[in-house]
Amino acid sequence: MSRLPPSSTERIDRSRTLRFRWCGRALEGFEGDTVASALWGAGVRTFGRSFEYHRPRGLYDLEGEGSSQLVSIDGVPNQSAGTTPLREGMEVGAQNVRGDPRFDVYGLLDRLDRFMPAGFYYRLFHRPVWAARFFQERMRGLAGLGVLRLGVPDRGERAERYLNADVAVVGGGPAGLSAALEAGRLGLRVCLFERRPWLGGHLDWRVRDGRPLAGEVSALADQLERMESMRVFRHAPVTGIWGENLLTGFQCRTTGGRTGSGTNGGTAAAFDETHWECRARAVVVATGSIERPLVFEHNDRPGVMQVDTAIRLARTYGVRPGAAAAFSVGDDLGLEAAVDLASLGVDVRVVADARHEGHDEALVAALVEAGIDFRPGWAASRVRGRSRVRRVELAARAGSGATVGSAGGGAGDSLRVACDLLVASAGRQPDIGLLSCAGARFRHGERTRTFELERLPPDVFTAGGVLRLTDIEALTSSGRVAGLEAAAACGADVAGPLARERARLADRPGPARGSSIVRGPVTERRLAAGRKAFLDFDEDGTWKNAAQSAACGFDVPELAKRFGNFGLGPGQYRVPGQNLAMAMAEIAGRPVGSFAATTVRPPVIPPSLATLAGSNHDIHKRTPLHDDQASRGAVFRRAGPWQRARYFSADRECLEEIRNVRENVGLLDSSPLGKFRIWGPDSLRALQRVYVSDMTRARPGRCTYSAMCNDTGNIIDDGVVVRTGEDEFYFTTSSNRAGGTVEWLRFHTRYDGWDYNLVNLTDALASINVAGPNARRVLEKITNAELSDEAFPYLGCREIEVGDGVAARCLRLGFVGELSYELHVRASHARYVWDLLWEAGAEYGIRPFGLEAQNCLRAEKGHVIIGTESEQRVTLLDIGMGWLWDREDTASGKVGAAALRYCEGQSGRLKLVGLRVDDPAGDAGAGTARDVAHRPEDGALVVDGDRIAGFVCTTRHSEALGWQYGLALVEDRLAERGRALDLYESRDGRTVRSTATVVPPHFHDPKGQRLRSAPEGRPRRSGEAPSKRAPAAHRRSPVRFDAAPARTERRAGWNVVLDYESDRAPTDVLRRAGLVDLSHRVRWDVQNRDIRAVRPFGLDVPGRPGEVAVRDGLMINRMNGTQASVWHVGPGAAPAMPDGPHYTDTTDSHCWLALLGDAIPEVLESVTDLDLFEPGRARPFLTQGPILHVPCQVVTWRDDAVLLAFSRGYGQTFVEALLESGRHAGLRPAGEQVFTDWTHALKS
Amino acid sequence: MGCDAVTFRLTCPVCGKRDIREFTYGGPERGSRPAEADPGSESEAAAEADPAAGAEAHFRWAQFRMNRPEPQEEWWHHGAGCGVWFSTWRDPATNREAPPGAEASEHEAGGGDSS
Repeated sequence: MSRLPPSSTERIDRSRTLRFRWCGRALEGFEGDTVASALWGAGVRTFGRSFEYHRPRGLYDLEGEGSSQLVSIDGVPNQSAGTTPLREGMEVGAQNVRGDPRFDVYGLLDRLDRFMPAGFYYRLFHRPVWAARFFQERMRGLAGLGVLRLGVPDRGERAERYLNADVAVVGGGPAGLSAALEAGRLGLRVCLFERRPWLGGHLDWRVRDGRPLAGEVSALADQLERMESMRVFRHAPVTGIWGENLLTGFQCRTTGGRTGSGTNGGTAAAFDETHWECRARAVVVATGSIERPLVFEHNDRPGVMQVDTAIRLARTYGVRPGAAAAFSVGDDLGLEAAVDLASLGVDVRVVADARHEGHDEALVAALVEAGIDFRPGWAASRVRGRSRVRRVELAARAGSGATVGSAGGGAGDSLRVACDLLVASAGRQPDIGLLSCAGARFRHGERTRTFELERLPPDVFTAGGVLRLTDIEALTSSGRVAGLEAAAACGADVAGPLARERARLADRPGPARGSSIVRGPVTERRLAAGRKAFLDFDEDGTWKNAAQSAACGFDVPELAKRFGNFGLGPGQYRVPGQNLAMAMAEIAGRPVGSFAATTVRPPVIPPSLATLAGSNHDIHKRTPLHDDQASRGAVFRRAGPWQRARYFSADRECLEEIRNVRENVGLLDSSPLGKFRIWGPDSLRALQRVYVSDMTRARPGRCTYSAMCNDTGNIIDDGVVVRTGEDEFYFTTSSNRAGGTVEWLRFHTRYDGWDYNLVNLTDALASINVAGPNARRVLEKITNAELSDEAFPYLGCREIEVGDGVAARCLRLGFVGELSYELHVRASHARYVWDLLWEAGAEYGIRPFGLEAQNCLRAEKGHVIIGTESEQRVTLLDIGMGWLWDREDTASGKVGAAALRYCEGQSGRLKLVGLRVDDPAGDAGAGTARDVAHRPEDGALVVDGDRIAGFVCTTRHSEALGWQYGLALVEDRLAERGRALDLYESRDGRTVRSTATVVPPHFHDPKGQRLRSAPEGRPRRSGEAPSKRAPAAHRRSPVRFDAAPARTERRAGWNVVLDYESDRAPTDVLRRAGLVDLSHRVRWDVQNRDIRAVRPFGLDVPGRPGEVAVRDGLMINRMNGTQASVWHVGPGAAPAMPDGPHYTDTTDSHCWLALLGDAIPEVLESVTDLDLFEPGRARPFLTQGPILHVPCQVVTWRDDAVLLAFSRGYGQTFVEALLESGRHAGLRPAGEQVFTDWTHALKS
Repeated sequence: MGCDAVTFRLTCPVCGKRDIREFTYGGPERGSRPAEADPGSESEAAAEADPAAGAEAHFRWAQFRMNRPEPQEEWWHHGAGCGVWFSTWRDPATNREAPPGAEASEHEAGGGDSS
């Protein structure tokens, strides 16, 4: 083990040895090591092989910048050795290697570089065509980095975190800490992000004159820790700064170990990463500076490393970077490192400094005193040794009084040094990646010789090393200036302090002088002869490749970047970025600052894809009948936001389900159907606007079928409208349109100032379809309502009671072409009614049917589904539904009417037709082509001659008909009855053909007799009650916790859980986080143009949206100009809903949850970016916005109590996701008692 | 456009500044729907009018968008929040809200980098 004696700066715990394996070999490191430091400390020099040439690569940087240090860890490829903490038992492997990384078989590729000039991928190996594929596969096999092993399961837990801050500070060095402190002192919310596991930046490891500099910042870090409004995120790289100051990044989650500024980073749990996003009003970027690589011959050999890498190996990890070292540096930090390494016992043999002058005299004196050969104006030109550095050649640079040495030059201007370590750097460059992301502009600076800031985006500030400051006082002072500037951007009055601090900063030394060296004294001749000098290690981009790019005309950095693959690897701008711009200028023979550096794009530091994918909750809507259908064997498919039962058996043709509806009776859960209440003086005008029909015909007790079009006349929706009062209607939409219907109506009436109110009842009401000849016989067993054809005809709508007095709106419709009743009942009652129907239907052998059976049944009947039998080119008229259009009405401004009128007589349009698919067996018998032995499927193309002339929308084989029918959209000239059509489709890569004949699109019961008159139920004597007393009605919450109830209470039909076994000690719940389901509690929607005129129970609706009033056990939330919600939060029974049209009972619309406990902010932070805990805002307040992507009403009652309500259908999956996301904060289910106790405590 | 223009926020008149993902776009402000000509009208003016002219006006209104890189008034719906439609001024060249009549903001259409 090549470890140095312990020093005060190190962050390893030598008492804790960790064992791990490298390419199968057992090695050891210490707690606090990274994988890279442990490997280097264990004597490993070759970490892997390079991308293209398979050159051996070692440890160049420790920041995870380049691909050279990528390894596989526990089977997961492309892990950064430099930043991944070592863990016990890790399996670490080399990448892009066949066999041992020291003896890679493909290493000979390094000699074939003449066949791989810049851009060869685009220029060569693509002719002849057959060869292109061969070469592509071969080369892909050879090139690349880690190998993704699909068999290796994903490891680790991922989480998200959404932060809201006034000031976000990037970088925890002296400047960043000072900025954060300054903003924090003003009481602003500050988030500080540091990518290393500890604070302090470069002062953490630097030692000057034998004195560690960490002390300069430890006091700042300690102050920071104690600040109330300060949040510090360590080991949290920032990946990008996006528009309006959105920062993204990730954090390696650590378990155990202290992460304070004075301790080790702790042990990272395997692959556990949190993706975070931070929205800040102002940002301070204090990312410091990074090194600019020096380009010379074989500058990638293992043993060549950055200054910081060498000094951090020694100072942070106690690892001896090498036994004998040569230095070729470009700034004072390099000199300081040489002095320090020498003091640690490394044999520093020579220090070359590319600068001719301007060195820190004290450091030069220290070098001389240590007896080190110091050579100003010199730089490394060449490394000897293949898999490790054996000897280094240095030479004087032009202008240092001696000529640049050619190979074997004179003793006066070149030098050969035997060593195993070359610490090489061209100097330092500001780490501008994030600023570039944020939209900052740069120009090359004469003094600093780097790309300096020219213009910052709004509300972004910067400080410290980014400005090329090096003096420690200047770093902290510039941090304070930036912190105050950021505070000013947040509205703080800091003009005085800011002026004073700026004056103080002006007294400190300004930006450091830099060096413009890119290339060591290597001759063009040697480089042209193929001696490799790398600009970009990631993609093996050499100086020669850059010259080749320029020669091919790709002569500016942004072009060369694409053509020669510079900076496209994980290092992006960090390694080659600024060098590339400077090198291209040199190649073009232009001044060094002629070209701008290439643009940097997020992720500036690459996170793993799994982290970006996040926790990936599957949040969808479920109907209240989901669980029961699942227990009956339903196979669910996603339909819009819903999971719906598609099949009830393994038979994908659903023959049994179809037959049962046609001959007997079936049950369909059609709950996702859109359902709406609209009322108010202008409600009819609003309906007239969006529906194509004359809606004045809508009458009580009758369903009026109509459709909606968009402005181009495309049919987009259909449904029925029932008049339910003088100025009140109930209407349905297709399931897919339900979510957008309110939006649609409001959009198309936005100029009119009409007075109407609209409530979406889609989730509040379940819909159960009882369909089939025996439907009436089943339904009459659970209701006293009169169901005869006379009393309740086809298209009737009746308010009935079922079972134990449960209200249901019953619509007699016939989508599936049979006698059918649609029962719209409260979602909480749905299961009760569903169970009643099962029991009543048992004697008939009732069975469920799914969406596929419904699809076949309706298609047989010729009923269309919008979006299946219609598309963007298809109008209402084209699918034969023009009869719905009230073409006389021009006054209502019907949406789409103008377009319908325009295209009414057009030819060449697609028309909906019925198809009878020709029987392949019959045709084969007739001796036609054998390729017609095929049944077409949905989507088959209709081909006319050599043109596509339409497509098949839906086609199925019908058992009842005995042949395959279909609905197709075809060009009108093909639409006449009896026309033969050719159908083509692709099947397993083959084109297959079938034929069909155009027929009318009504296959089943064309006259609709089965809808209108169906077998009567058994005659019933008047006044006879249902044969058996119905069981007591019960209501169900959409949420079921996976916890054992301890105490329950029956309340108004609900089974309310007061306690779960797990929350017998409520104070314990409140100390962490409890989730209470309050869905059984009453909620009302209140809507009126003058909302303040409505005074529920004599209480005032709050004056402004977002305000919340709590009185007499009721919480009134003002939602927008015309709408409020009233929630019953008090003890005891809820009052009855007041009379009047303004109120709608929305208890069943929502899932209502309470989140209680001290950790609630932490829980919510992981699921929403809403700023729910804004300081200084009077609580309670209402926020309407997405949590887990589900729109919610959120009431922040106190910081330890949040109520939220959202669409009921999401209930179960939302709660599961919330519990999973909140697990780290201790979130667990709790009974209602916890909530009532909490509200009680609030009062007293 | 750099990544600084990819994410942005809008000011909802009810809820305040929110992430763009909470909104849906309703197109630029273009005035209310043009009135339809009454097909039953037998008036001379209607008889003489070019029947295509009404359709032309409607299509201009329904379909034509000028897509100028300058501040424009737009309709947005806060679907994930309060559910309100509102109009606001925004510069599609920068994606930022901009007051009416504001100078087209500095926008580097070309620049060195197009990927």
